[in-house]
Amino acid sequence: MLTLEDLFVVVLVWGIVIICAWFLSKYLFFVFMGARNRLDRLFLPIENLIYWLGGVDSSRKMGWKEYFKALFYLNAAQAIIAFFILMFQQSLPLNPMHYPGMSWSLALNTVLSFSSNTNLQHYNGETTLSYLSQMSAIQFLQFTSAATGLAAGVAVIRGFAGKAKTIGNFYYDYVRSLTRVLLPLAFIAAIVLIALGVPQSIGGYSSVPTLQRGAYEILYNGPIASLVSIMQLGTNGGGYFGANSAYPLQNPTQLSNLFEIGLMMFIPTAILFLFGRTVGDNREGRTLFLSAYAIYGIDLVIAFLSTTNIAQGIEVRFGGVTSAFWTVTTTAFTTGSLNASLGAFNPIVILTAFFGMLIQGAPGGIGIGAMYLIMYVIVTIFLVGLMAGRTPEYLGIKIEGRDVKLAIAAFLTHPIIILIPTVLAFAIGAEKAVGVTSNSTGFTTIFYEFTSAAANNGSDFLGAAGNTVFFNVATGIVMWLGRYLPILFLLAIADSVAVRKRSPSQGLKTGNISFVVILVVSIFILTVLTFFPFLVLGPVLQFLQGFNTSVGGVIFGF
Amino acid sequence: MGSNTSDTEENRLNWPSIILDSIKRLNPWLLKDNLVMFVTELTFFIVFIMAVDPTLIPKVSSASENGFYAIVALILIITVWFSTLSDSIAEAQIRNTASSLRKMKEQMTAKRLKSSNRNNFEVVPSDQLRRGDLVLIDHGEKVPIDSEVIEGIAMVDESLLTGESANVRKSVGTTLLGGSVVTTDSLVARVSSNPDETYVSKLINLVESSSRPKTPNEIALSVLIAGFTAIFSIIIIALLFLGITLDLGIDLAVLIALYVCLLPTTIGALLPAIGISGINRMSVKRIIAKSGKAIEASGDTDALLLDKTGTITKGMRKAVRFIPSGKHTEREVGEAALLSSWDDDTPEGKSIVELSYNLGFIPHSFSTLDRSEFEEFSAATRRSSIKMSDTREFLLPKGGRGILQRKRLRRKFEPGLQQPDLEIVKGAPDAIIEYVKNKPPDFDSILTKISEDGATIMGVAEAGDVLGFIKLKDEVKPGVKEKIRALRDMDIEVVMVTGDQPQTAGIISKDVGIDDFIAKARPETKYELVKEEQKAGKIVSMIGDGTNDAPALSVADVGLAMASGTEPAKEAANMVDLESNPSKIIDVVMLGKQILMTRGTVTTFSIANDIAKYFVIVPIMFGALPELGALNLMHLSPHVAVLSALVYNAIIIPALIPLALRGTVFKPSSTMKIFLKNVMIYGLGGIILPFIAIKFFAILITVLGGVA
Amino acid sequence: MTRLKSVSGAVRMTVISLIICGMIFPLVMTGIGQVAMPWQSNGSQVYFDGKSIGSELISQNFSEPVFFHPRNDSASGVDPDITMADAMSQVPRIHNATGIPEAFLNATLIKYTQRTLFFFGTPYINVLDVNLYLVEEFPAVYSQYIQ
Repeated sequence: MLTLEDLFVVVLVWGIVIICAWFLSKYLFFVFMGARNRLDRLFLPIENLIYWLGGVDSSRKMGWKEYFKALFYLNAAQAIIAFFILMFQQSLPLNPMHYPGMSWSLALNTVLSFSSNTNLQHYNGETTLSYLSQMSAIQFLQFTSAATGLAAGVAVIRGFAGKAKTIGNFYYDYVRSLTRVLLPLAFIAAIVLIALGVPQSIGGYSSVPTLQRGAYEILYNGPIASLVSIMQLGTNGGGYFGANSAYPLQNPTQLSNLFEIGLMMFIPTAILFLFGRTVGDNREGRTLFLSAYAIYGIDLVIAFLSTTNIAQGIEVRFGGVTSAFWTVTTTAFTTGSLNASLGAFNPIVILTAFFGMLIQGAPGGIGIGAMYLIMYVIVTIFLVGLMAGRTPEYLGIKIEGRDVKLAIAAFLTHPIIILIPTVLAFAIGAEKAVGVTSNSTGFTTIFYEFTSAAANNGSDFLGAAGNTVFFNVATGIVMWLGRYLPILFLLAIADSVAVRKRSPSQGLKTGNISFVVILVVSIFILTVLTFFPFLVLGPVLQFLQGFNTSVGGVIFGF
Repeated sequence: MGSNTSDTEENRLNWPSIILDSIKRLNPWLLKDNLVMFVTELTFFIVFIMAVDPTLIPKVSSASENGFYAIVALILIITVWFSTLSDSIAEAQIRNTASSLRKMKEQMTAKRLKSSNRNNFEVVPSDQLRRGDLVLIDHGEKVPIDSEVIEGIAMVDESLLTGESANVRKSVGTTLLGGSVVTTDSLVARVSSNPDETYVSKLINLVESSSRPKTPNEIALSVLIAGFTAIFSIIIIALLFLGITLDLGIDLAVLIALYVCLLPTTIGALLPAIGISGINRMSVKRIIAKSGKAIEASGDTDALLLDKTGTITKGMRKAVRFIPSGKHTEREVGEAALLSSWDDDTPEGKSIVELSYNLGFIPHSFSTLDRSEFEEFSAATRRSSIKMSDTREFLLPKGGRGILQRKRLRRKFEPGLQQPDLEIVKGAPDAIIEYVKNKPPDFDSILTKISEDGATIMGVAEAGDVLGFIKLKDEVKPGVKEKIRALRDMDIEVVMVTGDQPQTAGIISKDVGIDDFIAKARPETKYELVKEEQKAGKIVSMIGDGTNDAPALSVADVGLAMASGTEPAKEAANMVDLESNPSKIIDVVMLGKQILMTRGTVTTFSIANDIAKYFVIVPIMFGALPELGALNLMHLSPHVAVLSALVYNAIIIPALIPLALRGTVFKPSSTMKIFLKNVMIYGLGGIILPFIAIKFFAILITVLGGVA
Repeated sequence: MTRLKSVSGAVRMTVISLIICGMIFPLVMTGIGQVAMPWQSNGSQVYFDGKSIGSELISQNFSEPVFFHPRNDSASGVDPDITMADAMSQVPRIHNATGIPEAFLNATLIKYTQRTLFFFGTPYINVLDVNLYLVEEFPAVYSQYIQ
């Protein structure tokens, strides 16, 4: 049974986020879709200075290859610079604790992770990273990967809207994402977080005697609020602390907890509305929004039904309800921050987390979620749309063989980069090195690790235990493939539809509830078809072994 | 030409040769273009090896399971055979259709002259004619093939070819179009092209050839199918390795069964047959499509351009009433009309004579017709006239308007020698005003009143005085109204194109339920219209016949030319209707939709089926994990589960062959309604049906196993 | 040439982004935090006798039977709170060790009760807050146990 608490939390957070996101979508439309506005006077000089200093042309229209190349080169350069900061932090300033540099494989994993918006962490930040690393490697990449995702999402939306006949210019999108969206929002969010008790200092850690005689505690502090603000807003998820947002200094109260949940939902939700605005029909945005939120909502209901109260691994101040809420949200939005230990949950909650990550568009990460939803729409429209007796169309665009090929390629990316390394890990016995046994729980752990990496989510069971060369390198490769291949494919589709002829009489209408239902069912079916046997071997089997009764019975409490 | 070839003859299939052909198609080399079936056959070979000697594939097989492996292998190869069978049936059907199309052409005969003597001819099928042959075409006969007149003068009806309803005068040196009708006299003509070189013949060959390029949607669907094949291949390979590494107790044959069940075998098996049968269904309707692409495009039609004359209306205006003007009487109008139309060989002219005669308006001055001078309708003046010089009494021969007698009388007459006593002019109302110079006061009011219902009005004037009007009406073809409503229900914009006045056009279009029309159309209007609609992103379909239509036909997404039309028109179009029935463009659109829909329904059904198959096989797949039995919703034992899923997977292919060959049945309604209905039937139905069917097969297998 | 240009653009844009996002932003936030909200910015430290005794947000190691004890497990490992039920179960032990009446302890717990969802949800208490209150109320009992 759903409780009043469940409903209260969801109505409160969803209500506020959706209303704010609606207004944010208006703002994003002004920022990215070329309309002049009053803010130009403030931002344009700064942006022009950045373009000038960077030596880039922000006005030239880019094709998909050029857009992707600019995006990829920039991300690669950022990863490289961060890699050296992490490896040589002992020789760099702002390291009052004198932490040594990371090993090459851990540094590699960390930069591939943060530059790809994944934030899988095979380390505990508070005992590994200097202040400079936290700021200039971690927070830096959290900003830039979010800006990259936002830019790619905006470019795809622009292409599908077709009004500009181009996907735009990467530098324009990237710089504006930073100057007009992420930095101002993170600024506000950081101030709120400080007010709610999240530290913001660079004063060094100290050991203080506590109340009871003879007891001490290490008082961690650092630039935490500024990190948490962008980590949630940018759907990054990588925390200052190893325990992430379960750690009280990163998430002190229920208020900060709900605020942080809202932060991670904020921009991805607004982008769905932005889609409707940009294509000139809010119903199209509504379709993406309702479909994404329907899946997210179904996952939430299942998680609430399978979560009892405070258990081991759940922080008392949050309780079971908002911990489950957080876990479903952080996977649905592919953020990956955690406010409880994943092991604390019933396997069915983990199953919903898998769904969030495997779908990646329900509603998905910043910029990328909208992209994935569009990919699902294309596959779905092609899968069922012919039944309307017309060549399948989306927004009046006839779906061609090349679009299907690219959309399928994006869809195929996931099973390939998740299943192959998962199998490989067991085949070479890599799971033993991180203390995982070959049972359903062990399978869930490894399958989750690569799913989280592929989905650029970042939550995991392993944490610092995953710091082995195999897992560092394997997940590193998976994170980058999972990030850049779908972006490449979707940009290619968007660029070709940007200039494609549009039919005014759309046979198959996508702006209505019946299409939402079809899309949701189709997304579930596509995901289940691809991963059913593996979900069965992992969380489903865990569940069956734990409860050993018929499936329907336990979930719904009969 | 006629389409009364019996359907039974077309549908009679030679089953032994079909079955032989389908077995030949099992050759893996021939299957390589059909990815899913190729892969399925590959798995057959693997399981076959397991059946022969399980030890050849260790770890994932068990020695005692030979029998089971043999049955699995058998079902796998039968699955592939069902697919090749559907191809063979479709190919056989289309060959039958093509040969009946050929026969249909042969049914047209020609009188080939053996010498210059007109009486020395033999009757031969038109396809035996060769370039340079001389043919005799008597009045009332069809021109068998494109040719050039070398003797005689005659009126020829080219209305079906050019849309011009007026007969054309053909004399020595002019070109005759195959399919036109000689309405007066007889002609000798020289054949100007061989029958095999005609465009239609080439198209029939094209229909029959088995190397058809894939259509855009077929390509996209193949990509989708290949994508699913890739996904399931990855899943199965991953499961195989995991099964071995983690000791999950898997059997390769069971894994392969899951694999083949998941593969989109249904759509993979039937996709080629759906395309071929689509072309076949077009051909059965006597429409030959140049490519499958054109058939697909017709299903996508956003805007349909219909000629009024010939498509919506019968194209034959008939006089229905005489209306006097001023002090004149109906009889005066009728008599003058008869006189003026006596020498008018157009269908309109004939109908005027007929109406006058039936109403008993026989003029006294009838006898002077033998000395009359008839001036044909000309586009410049838009009127025709007759001048008569004498009013000697002449009685109409019994039986009416004997055409031969009339001609004999006329031959005596030498035009221009005498001053005419009387001139009667008939023509377009404004042309009449131009002729009489002064307009009667009630002219406009009568004209407005009688043209309200979309009728065509002609004025009749005698000696500079307007007598009145002839009202002519074209009849709407039976069934056209319903077809247009169906098109509109399916969100297709229908535009009527006509040379009529806007008012007339408006009334007809309203009558048949068309919201948009282009009146006073000029030859280039259609081309401009097609371009304009396409600029707005629409897919435009149209019909055309005359050479004038060729530019429009070539730019239109779907251009249906009449077989009776000119060669340039046919070459510009991407479909030709052998029966030259312009209304069939509507059927073409419906057929196009049906083909797309059939592909869609089978695809969706195929993928939707997978859910049940997962639930049947996955719970029994891991021998080491009995806990998964909780997911065994249908409580099937391992062997029964695998076999019943495989049997269902195979049986569904022949079960859907009729659907693939016949097409998905649908009622014309809005695209979204059709779509949602199909989603319910093939999507939701596709999820539910296999659960029931597999359980049924499981019971059957259990019972049979018990008996055995 | 174009490749060189796009590589140099990528490097220069990286440096600019690093300066703005990875240095200016966190340092500006630190400045604002330290000036406007120094208590939160420095870890919400609790002072006793004028000395910091650690963060209010972090659980402390209370092992003496006279104190309420925190949880041993939890996701962060430093969960500062325990559920009301947990706290109630510790009341007899503290009563036995200190002699403080159970009624007083229970009343204290009720006074310090928070709920997971503001006005409803599971009731819980902050261990440090309650222990500090007890220390302040019963200095004689606790003096030997504190710093």
